[in-house]
Amino acid sequence: MKKMLTIGGVSPHAVKKALLFMKLTFLLILVATMQVSAKVNGQERLSLNLRQVEISKALNSIEKQGVYRFLYNSRLNTIHKKINIDVKDLGIRDVLNNMFTGTDLTFKMLENNLIVVVSSSPEAQDIKITGKITGENGEPLSGVSITVKGTSNGTSTDNNGNFTLTVPEKGRLVISYIGYETQEVAINNQSVINVKLTTAKKTMDEVVVIGYGQATKRDLTGSIVKIEGKEIADKPNTNPVASLQSKVAGLYVVNNGTPGQTPDIRIRGTGSIASISPLYVVDGVFTYDINYVNPQDIESMEVLKDPSSLAIFGNQGANGVIIITTKRAKAGQSFFTFSTSTGFKQLVNKIKLANASQFNTLFAEENANNGVTNNGYVTLPDLQNNTDWIDAVTRKGIQTANNLSIANSTDNNKFNFSIGYTLDQGMVVKEQLKRITATINDECKINRWLKVGVNFTAMREDLPYDATGVLGLARQVMPQVSAKTKPYKVQNLYGNDTITQNLYSTTYSALQNSGVQNPFIDMQNRIYNIDILYRYVGSVYAEINLMKHLTFRSAVYGDFSNENHRQYTPLFYGYDPKDGSPVVINAQTKLVQGLTSLRNAQTDNLLTYKNSFQNHNLTVIAGATTYSHQINYNQMWVVTPDNSQPIPFNKRFWYPSAWPYSEVTNDPTKTYSYNYEPNYTAGFFGRALYNYDQKYYLNASIRRDGSSSFLPAHQWGTYWTVGAAWELTRESFMAGQKTFDFLKLKGSAGTLGDQAVPTGVYYPSYPGLNSSGQTVWPLPDPTTGYGGAGFITNTTYGKAYIANPDLHWETVHQYEFGVELEAFQRRLHFEATYFRRKTDGAMGLYYIAGVNKLENLVDIENKGQEFSASWNQPVSRDLSISLAGNITFIQNKVLAFSDPSFTYIDQTSQNNGEQDSRTIVGQPVGEFYGYIAKGVFQSYAQILASPVQSSLGQIRPGDLIYADLPDPATGKPDGVIDSKDRTYIGNPSPKFTYGASLNVNYKAFSLGVDIGGVWGNKIFRAWGSLEAPYQRVNYAGFQLDAWHGPGTSNWTPLLSQGDRANYVGSTYSIENGSYARIRNLQIAYTVPQHVFSKTSPIKALRVYLNAQNLITWKNNSGYTPEFGGFTQYSTLQSGNTLSAAATTFPPNPLQFGIDQGGGAIPRILSAGLSVTF
Amino acid sequence: MAFAGIAMLLDGCTKFLDRKPLSATADDLGSGSGAFEKKALGLYSALRGDAGFSTLAWLDFHSIRDDDAQKGSSISDGAEINAEFETFQYTKNDWATNAYWGDHFNLIQLANEIIHDADSVKPTDEGSKRNIGEACFFRAYSYFELVKAYGETYLPLENFYYTSPNQQIVPNAQPGQIYALIDSDLTIASQYLPVTWATATGNSNLGRLTSGAANTLWAQTYLFRGNWSRVIGLCNQVISSGQYKLDSPFTNIWKDGLNGAGKVGPESIWENINYVGPNQTPWIGTQWGTSQNVRQGGASVDWNLGWGWNTPTQNLVNAWDSATDPRRDMTILFSGRYDGGTATGGYGNTLPAYNPGVLLDQKYWNKKVYSDPQMRSFTGQIGSSGGADWIDHRILRYADVILMLAEASNETGDGATAEQMLEKIRSRARNGGDPTKVLPHIAYSTQAQMRQAIKNERRWEFAMEGYRFYDLVRWGDAPAVLGSLGYQPKNALYPIPQPIIDQFLGKLTQNPNYP
Repeated sequence: MKKMLTIGGVSPHAVKKALLFMKLTFLLILVATMQVSAKVNGQERLSLNLRQVEISKALNSIEKQGVYRFLYNSRLNTIHKKINIDVKDLGIRDVLNNMFTGTDLTFKMLENNLIVVVSSSPEAQDIKITGKITGENGEPLSGVSITVKGTSNGTSTDNNGNFTLTVPEKGRLVISYIGYETQEVAINNQSVINVKLTTAKKTMDEVVVIGYGQATKRDLTGSIVKIEGKEIADKPNTNPVASLQSKVAGLYVVNNGTPGQTPDIRIRGTGSIASISPLYVVDGVFTYDINYVNPQDIESMEVLKDPSSLAIFGNQGANGVIIITTKRAKAGQSFFTFSTSTGFKQLVNKIKLANASQFNTLFAEENANNGVTNNGYVTLPDLQNNTDWIDAVTRKGIQTANNLSIANSTDNNKFNFSIGYTLDQGMVVKEQLKRITATINDECKINRWLKVGVNFTAMREDLPYDATGVLGLARQVMPQVSAKTKPYKVQNLYGNDTITQNLYSTTYSALQNSGVQNPFIDMQNRIYNIDILYRYVGSVYAEINLMKHLTFRSAVYGDFSNENHRQYTPLFYGYDPKDGSPVVINAQTKLVQGLTSLRNAQTDNLLTYKNSFQNHNLTVIAGATTYSHQINYNQMWVVTPDNSQPIPFNKRFWYPSAWPYSEVTNDPTKTYSYNYEPNYTAGFFGRALYNYDQKYYLNASIRRDGSSSFLPAHQWGTYWTVGAAWELTRESFMAGQKTFDFLKLKGSAGTLGDQAVPTGVYYPSYPGLNSSGQTVWPLPDPTTGYGGAGFITNTTYGKAYIANPDLHWETVHQYEFGVELEAFQRRLHFEATYFRRKTDGAMGLYYIAGVNKLENLVDIENKGQEFSASWNQPVSRDLSISLAGNITFIQNKVLAFSDPSFTYIDQTSQNNGEQDSRTIVGQPVGEFYGYIAKGVFQSYAQILASPVQSSLGQIRPGDLIYADLPDPATGKPDGVIDSKDRTYIGNPSPKFTYGASLNVNYKAFSLGVDIGGVWGNKIFRAWGSLEAPYQRVNYAGFQLDAWHGPGTSNWTPLLSQGDRANYVGSTYSIENGSYARIRNLQIAYTVPQHVFSKTSPIKALRVYLNAQNLITWKNNSGYTPEFGGFTQYSTLQSGNTLSAAATTFPPNPLQFGIDQGGGAIPRILSAGLSVTF
Repeated sequence: MAFAGIAMLLDGCTKFLDRKPLSATADDLGSGSGAFEKKALGLYSALRGDAGFSTLAWLDFHSIRDDDAQKGSSISDGAEINAEFETFQYTKNDWATNAYWGDHFNLIQLANEIIHDADSVKPTDEGSKRNIGEACFFRAYSYFELVKAYGETYLPLENFYYTSPNQQIVPNAQPGQIYALIDSDLTIASQYLPVTWATATGNSNLGRLTSGAANTLWAQTYLFRGNWSRVIGLCNQVISSGQYKLDSPFTNIWKDGLNGAGKVGPESIWENINYVGPNQTPWIGTQWGTSQNVRQGGASVDWNLGWGWNTPTQNLVNAWDSATDPRRDMTILFSGRYDGGTATGGYGNTLPAYNPGVLLDQKYWNKKVYSDPQMRSFTGQIGSSGGADWIDHRILRYADVILMLAEASNETGDGATAEQMLEKIRSRARNGGDPTKVLPHIAYSTQAQMRQAIKNERRWEFAMEGYRFYDLVRWGDAPAVLGSLGYQPKNALYPIPQPIIDQFLGKLTQNPNYP
């Protein structure tokens, strides 16, 4: 404890909490071990003093000491021989030699302290059987223990998985092996018994992938959660991480309903105010974008949360790591599997908006409030519609994922190939993602000491139309506008003839001419996009066995992508609903072509030493790695010089090169931009995993990393971790108890780093220039000397950002301790962890006098408790039930600013600068800030009797009443509502997140239900509360309750965009973000194995139905309670620009939990099938 | 492959990590002659790009606050501006007011950076000195606008240049301190800036800042301080430079046509220059013209010329003696009427009628920014993409020099000069009309009579140009003229934006009239 204290720099309060947690955990263990605590005498060295006992009894008493287990045939005569033995403090070999003196018995030590006792003189009794024990995929298993049930008679398999055993004719064999399910087989007079073992569900012996290696969970001191690929494969999410929602304690996933979008993922809280995304390691490749990983190809995902697993990732480990391992063929496998699933996406929890007659009523009410008559639209024939715009722009989207994989593997060559096709239609009309992935990997064992392999994945993704924002537009358009087209005779803008076109209505300009548009016109404009992303990720590696225990592995990884973007904006018409006449909406054709190419390269060189000495087990690695990341970004655009020569509506011409002068870069009709943003890191690392007799564990690692993002003085950082664990169940004092099958106490502490620098600020230490400014001077007319002869333009330079030569890493100090246990015949699995993460110098971008500066700005603390438990209950041979749950409590707090003169970081957004989040010392990151609304003024008398609110604008009955908070100086309210009356009005981060699942297997059927949710967070609803004053948008449903006379409402203020006092950020806009959701409900049927004959081409078949996001219980008025960090959306609709690189990291934790009236998360009903040949 | 990796490491990680930016940095601009040029041009770019100088926020502070101009647009659009700037319910946290403050300080910071760098390099070449002059001008201009709007603001510490937020956390600077900085900056600007950028080989910088601009701005600052002799001296300096003359007819000042015709005309001392090419490419514009041109409302898309802000009030129309002043029809565009054709700055079109919510939402529009249909077609800012981003904001024009001289002369008892200067303006405005009927000559009789005549003349001459509110405040007439709109003496100054007060941790104090 003491050590941890100094590491973390913990406050006394934190220590108290931590101590309490430890005490509770310890108490639990203490109670459970009470009855066995008297027997503490177990040592690895043995003492034995027995008189006149059978050898078998003597072996029994050694077994009771809890270290060794014996296997022998109880029918051996000599095993019943009575002996005297008196030894003190001897090793097992000496004890046994002593015992067996004068008998024909010998013994053989196997792994895991298993000792086989055999007779040197063969006895011909019973029957002799032979057999082979293999794993799930037919690979031979050596060292498997085989015993006759109820006896100590047994043996173990040799290197090829074979065994020979003499057994009684009747009886059962018990076959057990670490990492596999124990299986029983009836002997029934068979002479050959071959058994295939299935992988165990025992969490502790599971092999997990860690940084630069593998280990069993038992060997580690940290918290790693493994998710099997099959849990992901049958869920309708194109991004595999989306399927992890509510499944893993400490992993917070905020999903996004737009195809191709990455969820907002946080591991153990919001550790930074800038980069919060975890690192993904896909088969060794470091990446922050896993869109190329086909969910069906995933073998497992490991979520790494704790210092002892993360420090090895050095400067990229701070936000946690998700390791993804793709499927590999296993020896002896040869199959192909086809899986397919198709589902329908559906908008649920539609937001409530006014319909046409309600709009009329409310608009008349608003006009009356402002003393205006302004209803020219009411009688216009084209504005007599009652369009439900949300229905109009949404649809049932189809989502389908199809995958074919082929595996063929021999002992020396393992080959895998898979190809996947995904179609993911959004809920919004025309939104559609298509993705094809192909993966090939091969590993070849050249000889005894050399293994080489290659992995390669190619992806093509086609996402032409970014519909983000369409739902927002649909919310804004007044329902009177028609969503249907009408035929009009119009001038063909591409030629001279007149043509008939089906035109959409524009919005009614007298009311909605500022930024509100018929979304269909927008779609029509933006759909001519060709946006194709190719990505190639591959690696080659070689593994050399240098010596018996020493392996060298070298790998080179490449991750290249090209995104080709072309957007054509055609000429098009709409019709004006006022007079029903066609209007040209876009009179200029435009063509934008952009290419973004990414080149990431990575090298790893790794030495692994693995050995056991007596009871000391050690795995040591040492390695070096380099990583480079480069972006090239090119963009060119063309507009035709005048409207008489539009770019035709013909794909053939949608290239800048198809147009004259295209080679001339200073042609004013074209622009060309180029950006090259490299970043390099290099690191050295080492790690030792040690355990003594699988009782005491020690993990330690160190990494030294350098990054080109910083100046040499701040380039290098060193990260380390130490972890320890104690497996109590291996102790002899626990030997007699039956409750715990496994009990481990663990703790680790260490440091991690984060060097991520936001897009666009790749060299924050250098004074970068911004050359986007331009000046123009008129050329003087030669006769007058004044303007009139054209122009000359100049490019200007300004600062891109303020250089910060002192910028350095973010450093995270983290510690955790916890307990893992399995109990009640391994039916219960339970883990509890307390952690504390402290980020020092989290980088933040702030705005100072017009430019950004990146600085190590704040220290942030996240502490919390994670609990997860599962219970597996076999009810009968046919029925089993398992129940699992997890819950995570996280407290997030800003501890300090790097410069004590800073008080907070302000993030304002929304139209009128009133929606604030503040990040201040002592409060959570990004907490909402504003006034407290107490109700609505009912009368002038009430206004006069209340604190003066005039600093917020003119106040009248119907306006919100804000609370007059006590003045910090006097402790009393000052009778005036002003800026000093703002306070913290809601934390966007939940107090806890939870998930639970129930799985029932009955014969070949299985039913799974996943539930997840969050509790205790707030949502800032910006729509319906903070509309831009220059926009007339449709009314929110809740505005039907707006105040319209004394006593009509005490919460929703009167309708009037002029009453800006109602448009300040306040609790009026704050909603409860807690929710619970049935995330998945799945029913599956696996055709039983016996159905397929030996000659059947089909080897396995599974069908299932899945419902995702079936029901959500929520408290807010938006589509969904899930709002990730606000990201800057692309500005594609302007036509001239590609999606601009946001100058902040998306997702932005400072703008988290804001409901802009979009973001719907669909319900997906899908059916799937998986068949193996 | 392994060897490649190892070799790379052996090569030295430091070398591997030592990556310099692959684009130019400020260090690459060097420090000698020409190092300041691109940054100085950046000042013009910022002036054009920021709303605080060119569009709605500027109009709110300068024009909409007076009795002659109003927000305009449609009733529901920008309703908060009605309250804030027309009925003087000043609010402390609104995009327009925040942008106005922020944009001015951004420009100050850009200028500070140049002045700061120049302090360390002390360049002596003419080019660099001009750039320093430009930076000093822009800083003085911004501070003058701020001191007019807010009274007390702040002056950042340490060479006025800061790179860390805490450096800007300083207490209020009194108007006197701010004017001292303005005076020292304009001393340098008027010295370092050229009289004209024209050279023997031509003028590729027409419209760039000159010493005439510095002197005019300086004269304005003295006018606000009532330092008449300095006003007279500076105005005479501008006049005697011979660079400027009153343009005639009056409509010429506002011409903004093809190929830049009308830009930087004879009367222009300083303007914010814009250019929009075919199909809005390139777009080197502002929304100055767009924000003020006729708003479509419910009318045909042909009248989607802009957002329709800053429109003339009935008060202005009523107060204007239409029979004798041709400027009225050159300043006001009437809904439902013929635009008057070229004679009054029109283009031969008839506007749809005033009918809020059905046709046009305003009766009157600012004709000084009325967009040229040829330019609408040329730029593609037409129909549903309507706008007028090419139109220049004429910030300083020669007529102001003449009227400042008239006013200062009158105040110092030089009635003759006052009368003479006033007549210059009136005779140009007369537009060839009969001097006995149209804008008759006003002879000096008393100082008070002449003072009133000059006040009136400024009202007509500069109507809708954003002079009037600060003139009323300066003359002390604001309570009388604007009182009925809700103006109180404290409204002469606007409160400092709340986010700024918040940022300054209480060191910068709010105007005590706005607790």
